Amino acid sequence: QVLSTDDNTPQPGINVAVKGTTRGTTTDASGNYRIAVPDGNVTLVFSSVGFTTQEVAVGNQSSVNLSLVSDNRALSEVVVVGYGTQKKSQTTGAISSVGAKEIAELPLTNARQALQGRAAGVDVIQTGSRPGGGVTVRVRARRSINASNDPLFVLDGIPLAGNIDDLNPNDIAGMEILKDASATAIYGSRGANGVIIVTTKRGKTGKSQVNVDSYYGVSSELGRIDVMDGPQFAEYKRESRRAVGIYKDANGNNVPSGVADPFADSKLFEPIELDGIAKGRTTDYQSFLLQQGTIQSHNVSVLGGSEKTQFAVSGGYFREVGIVKNQDFTRYNFRLAIDHQLNNRIRIGMTTLGAYSLQNGNDFNPYGGALQENPLGRPFDDNGNLIFLPTSDGLRTNPIAEVIPGAQVDLTKRMRMFTSLYGEWTILDGLKYRVNFGPDFTNRRVGRFTGSQTNARRGGDPTGFTTYEYQFNYTLENILTYQKTIGNHNFNLTALHSLQRDDFETGTMNVTGIPAETQQYFNLGQATIINSIGTNLEQWTLNSYMGRLNYDYNDKYLLTLTARADGSSRFGVNNKYGFFPSAAVGWNISNEPFLKGSSWIDMLKFRVSYGSTGNTAINPYQTQTLLTRTTYAFGTLPGYGYRPNTIGNPDLKWETTTTGNVGLDFSLYRGRISGSLEVYRANTRDLLLADQLPFTSGYGSVLRNVGRTRTEGVEVTVSTVNVNTPSGFKWSTDLQWARNREAIVELFNGKVDDIGNSRFIGQPITAYFDYKKIGIWQASEEAEAAKFGRRVGEIKIQDNNGRSPDGQLTGQPDGRINADDRVIIGSQVPEFTAGMTNRFSYKGFDLSFFLFARVGSTIRSGFHTAFSSLAGRYNNLDVDYWTPNNPTNEFPRPNQSQEAPVFQSTLQYFSGTFLKVRNINIGYNLPATLTNRLRMSGLRVFASAQNPFNFSEYRSKYKGIDNESFDIVNQNQSPAVKQFTVGLNAKF
Amino acid sequence: CKDVLEEVPVSQVGAQYINTPAGFEAAGRAAYSTLRDFYGREIGMNLTVFGTDTYTMGADGSYKFMNQYLSQFDGRVDLMRDLWNNFYVGINTMNIVIDNSTSVTGLDPNLVKRRVAEMKFLRAHHYFVLTQTFGGVALVTKGNLLPTKEFKRATVKEVYAQIVGDLEAAIPDLGTPTSDYGRATKGAAEHLLARVYLTKATSDAAAADDYAKAATLATNVIKNYSYALLPDFASVFAQGGGEINSEVIFATQYTSDALTNIGAAGGSPIQGNGNPNQVQGNQTHLYFGMEYDTQAGMQRDVLNGRPFKRYMPTKYMLETVFAINNRVNDSRYKKTFKDTWLSNRPGTYTNMFDDSKTRLTFASGDTTIFIPGFEMSKAERARRPYQVLVPSNYRPNLFPTLQKFLDPLRPDRTYEAGSRDFIMFRLAETYLILGEAQFRLGKLTEAADAINMVRRRAAWPGRAAQMEVTPAQINIDFILDERDRELAGEMFRWFDLKRTGKLIERVKAHNPDGGPNIKDFHVLRPIPQDQIDRTTNGATAFPQNPGY
Repeated sequence: QVLSTDDNTPQPGINVAVKGTTRGTTTDASGNYRIAVPDGNVTLVFSSVGFTTQEVAVGNQSSVNLSLVSDNRALSEVVVVGYGTQKKSQTTGAISSVGAKEIAELPLTNARQALQGRAAGVDVIQTGSRPGGGVTVRVRARRSINASNDPLFVLDGIPLAGNIDDLNPNDIAGMEILKDASATAIYGSRGANGVIIVTTKRGKTGKSQVNVDSYYGVSSELGRIDVMDGPQFAEYKRESRRAVGIYKDANGNNVPSGVADPFADSKLFEPIELDGIAKGRTTDYQSFLLQQGTIQSHNVSVLGGSEKTQFAVSGGYFREVGIVKNQDFTRYNFRLAIDHQLNNRIRIGMTTLGAYSLQNGNDFNPYGGALQENPLGRPFDDNGNLIFLPTSDGLRTNPIAEVIPGAQVDLTKRMRMFTSLYGEWTILDGLKYRVNFGPDFTNRRVGRFTGSQTNARRGGDPTGFTTYEYQFNYTLENILTYQKTIGNHNFNLTALHSLQRDDFETGTMNVTGIPAETQQYFNLGQATIINSIGTNLEQWTLNSYMGRLNYDYNDKYLLTLTARADGSSRFGVNNKYGFFPSAAVGWNISNEPFLKGSSWIDMLKFRVSYGSTGNTAINPYQTQTLLTRTTYAFGTLPGYGYRPNTIGNPDLKWETTTTGNVGLDFSLYRGRISGSLEVYRANTRDLLLADQLPFTSGYGSVLRNVGRTRTEGVEVTVSTVNVNTPSGFKWSTDLQWARNREAIVELFNGKVDDIGNSRFIGQPITAYFDYKKIGIWQASEEAEAAKFGRRVGEIKIQDNNGRSPDGQLTGQPDGRINADDRVIIGSQVPEFTAGMTNRFSYKGFDLSFFLFARVGSTIRSGFHTAFSSLAGRYNNLDVDYWTPNNPTNEFPRPNQSQEAPVFQSTLQYFSGTFLKVRNINIGYNLPATLTNRLRMSGLRVFASAQNPFNFSEYRSKYKGIDNESFDIVNQNQSPAVKQFTVGLNAKF
Repeated sequence: CKDVLEEVPVSQVGAQYINTPAGFEAAGRAAYSTLRDFYGREIGMNLTVFGTDTYTMGADGSYKFMNQYLSQFDGRVDLMRDLWNNFYVGINTMNIVIDNSTSVTGLDPNLVKRRVAEMKFLRAHHYFVLTQTFGGVALVTKGNLLPTKEFKRATVKEVYAQIVGDLEAAIPDLGTPTSDYGRATKGAAEHLLARVYLTKATSDAAAADDYAKAATLATNVIKNYSYALLPDFASVFAQGGGEINSEVIFATQYTSDALTNIGAAGGSPIQGNGNPNQVQGNQTHLYFGMEYDTQAGMQRDVLNGRPFKRYMPTKYMLETVFAINNRVNDSRYKKTFKDTWLSNRPGTYTNMFDDSKTRLTFASGDTTIFIPGFEMSKAERARRPYQVLVPSNYRPNLFPTLQKFLDPLRPDRTYEAGSRDFIMFRLAETYLILGEAQFRLGKLTEAADAINMVRRRAAWPGRAAQMEVTPAQINIDFILDERDRELAGEMFRWFDLKRTGKLIERVKAHNPDGGPNIKDFHVLRPIPQDQIDRTTNGATAFPQNPGY
């Protein structure tokens, strides 16, 4: 039997030959083979694409079992590039790959999550734990201020209008991330933010294979938000009154901090609170809203085919139940892929993906209410009935009421049908014509109902709304490729015409006063008040022509030239089309004679590319002058009107990014060390930016092509095989590290900061610009504080700036705190991101763990402002606040006469640095003897832990839960979770 | 393949529509909608109620610095920016209608003429609010369809010239009240022009005949139309029937139909962050309430409103403007302030602000809170089976509640989008304008006659004679106090104080939070920083008001 050293799975289709003869065979599906040999003096040669060829002397053995070592260089021999595949050694662009194996290691809701930490330069952020919640993907940071920074997803050759979240991750064979202009230029118009090519699994000729992949897991919160308990809350409330001098004893004297006076308490607290204080009660409302979450996924796929027809069929079920009640996500998938060789010249095929998903709680989260609820109150009366207003505070309804079934309904249904059809005609040897057609239907419906006994309505009439979306998108492409070899000169020419059209209809209805709560949002017409009705249609079209030449000389000198002309309906009549050329050269140094015989260099390639790509991702109709409808009434008669709203700009054109990239690919010591190094700079010009107008013009802005940004970075990817013993123990490591820098170079006024929008020349696209907290005003500083109009116990701000008489900034303190004193606090862009995967295998066992770090960004923490108003009304984060007895510099003194502390925004900035153990996965491949008995060709069982460890100052020092975020850790976010799953992969 | 890329915005209306007869009318209606960006809005209230002698800040709300005259009140305040932006969007719309009036075909020329007059009325109104608030502003009188950044501040004199010119041009072409209720009328324009002259007379644009013109115009309004004071002061603010009565001269229109009650800015989509479907309505019912809803025996309900406790009456308001010893004659204290709350949450309670008792039991409908308006003795309070809120116990969350704007017709207790029309001009004010103008002209008898019209109506039955004032009693302080007795909360006070030159003096004397901070420069508000930053040459071309 022949196994793979990677995962000890049986390897079918391995060539087994008797050395020096023509005699040979191949292994069957179980990796077994049988070959007759004349005597023991022969040597067997085992070979296959993807493995290092191995020779074994038979001797007197009757069975020769061995494990083949995979050949890293060969394994990744072919990569998917735009409109075709290419030998890895011949690519000239910066491309990262994520394979099915990495995808299989994580229990993923959507495939975009699989990219995190696996591909250098791809920054993937998932915030919180809302089931079905999306992730943000940025390839090489951001370039655009106003237009989209989302990468383009290409699924089975069809560029998508959206993302790939409807795709079952199990169906993915691999993902390729194209990063530099040479690689993305083929998608010219839309490649500026990187291109992610997703290829799904297809059938193979041979014995049909049935795969069953299942896992089940549980999740629990990674931590709880630390809010004050009952006694802490009581004392905090007292302190908030002491601060304004109304916490007085029976004699009318102020009661000092730290002292609780019964008379003062009786004035301050209501009976339920006094009862709570007397009994030392703490009602932990969070615990009523949290539950143990579950995650499960079950997939069956059948792959197989004859010489002429190959197929792949799969069906899947995924369900995740969140740790916050009423949040869950369920998805049903099916997929069918067929390829058929009509005759020796024509091949046709199709892939159809269907997905139906149900998400509860997309726009609903009761968690914030639980954090603010008075812990001295009681959620239930003596009979166990829920008390809707646990205290007399009219705004604080019982958070538990939100999760009573039927009180809040928030269900999003989504249906997607994506098909990719192709026909391929080999006209002549080397000359091929291919047509791709990709219709893509998406239906989405949001239903939202809010009952009367909820915080949103607080006894008011129930409200409801629905949104319906219908999207049809199609892509039609005609591709001509010609391949020719003349001596050592290899040519590959590609020509393309592509047309993509998108049609997006929406309808929405919003009402108040639903007669019976049981109707939810299913009969909105019967409501007493129609708040709004709206429908809309948005259409856009892209029309593109492209040509590409790939040339290499003897696999040594490589050249790629690409040119693409793109037309977009979204641009002005004067500038529909943009032209995006790129060129790249590569040099396979290892193929030079002086390295050819090297014992330690397998492959060494140097690449340089330069080119431009475009961005059209602005909303349609922005080139046109459009009117907006206004609402008024004359008496009771409607007075709807129209007035100008936008200034059209018929000169709008493509936002263009020009990228230079230098790369080095290497493989050393027979694949023991391999990887690549990329250095790039991307300059984006003609930013589609709102040029801000003074409103005296009648308008706030006009969209223009102004401004420039620059991103630059370094990306390192290294894979090593650290240990690989003959006994079968193997340890390998994949490492990726990337540093991407973004900077604004010019804005609409040239090299002038746009303070109003927090945009600064030389800074990342979004920088946090705010006052700088330097502590709390202490008792000894009363006089100094008063000069700034502040009191002891309030936040102390750094005085950075003043103005000279002529209005210029002086850079010197002026004894006043005003808007001039704001400084740049930090940025969302990390210093670097890094991911490391270690894999160990021994015999049937395998173990992997995956670390992910994001270092140096700044985040905002919504929790720290929304739940820390320190006004002595709502419950508060358990923070270290100032009192006369506690002269801290962390948080200001509670004060009843404020809604929030002055300069509260300064309390929300935290380091975004974290290191996570994203995943630990341990598996075992049952031995073939056992699986054969079970009539299986392979069975792997595994257990994994997601996010078991998470290290950050935000967690350890500031009581945050998870600071994985691009911007703000939302106040209403579901807490991050850790998950434990068990599963199996069975092959029949 | 040029056709493939042609873009047709099917679901949108393109600019050319505005040149059609229907579009001409639609743009005219759109111009009116910007009234909803000021009247019934938080910004309008904050700019007129806060930082005056009669109102200071209550417990809640984010814009207390506007009352306190703190340095945070600068050109970055979003409400100020929104007002500026929305009004200039409105002015641009009016300008476009006026420009298009010469080219539009297919409409009755008389109708076109009247629409132009309406636009000039609205344009004058907007500039009048802007110049009182900001001083010299950018004077834009031509419709604009192109991006431009070249602006400068006109002088106050130029702005008033434009306002007066627009109104004088509008008056002959405007009609009298019609079935199209809510459109500008000749009476409304005369009332506004009277107020403009009264205000202009103390501005940089002052002319010798301002007061005389104000008096003439006010007299026209009183004499020439069918406007009449209602017999009962309270009924002016009775809700229902579109708040239409004979005293109303002009009002910002709100409705009880959510589809037509959306704010003009609809959550301010011009800022790019609004929800255009947001129903805003008249929100003034939110701001003046005290925190009755957490008190013993009470919970929030539609009748008593949703108390944001933004504005708290000052001691001066409660003890001098509405002097206790006048309340036997003048019904307006009682009719302006809500003083009694009836239990809607029966039970036994111990949380008392009234220290004369420790527990109370209420049945449904029992009085739970009473505000006598004077310092009732503890012994007297102890005899009453409810809490008595006396002046010494007034707090930023406990105070007499202005009830003019309460909106019990809202569909539920959380509903914010009130349906009341916001009454902008009413005949009582016309009399007060006339009174003030006559006083300034030295005609004290005529001044007293005009003011007594308002005072007699305000009397308790049988007390009209005691309400009358003599010519000798008329002075500017009296007129100011009389205006707030009549017009408290109706978005006049700050402008009144500024017009009469009393702002600094009275705020220092009577506003405990703003008094210590107010400076001479506070008679103007800060120009929105965006306007300065976005104008070509910035602060050089469009300077900020001094002090900010």
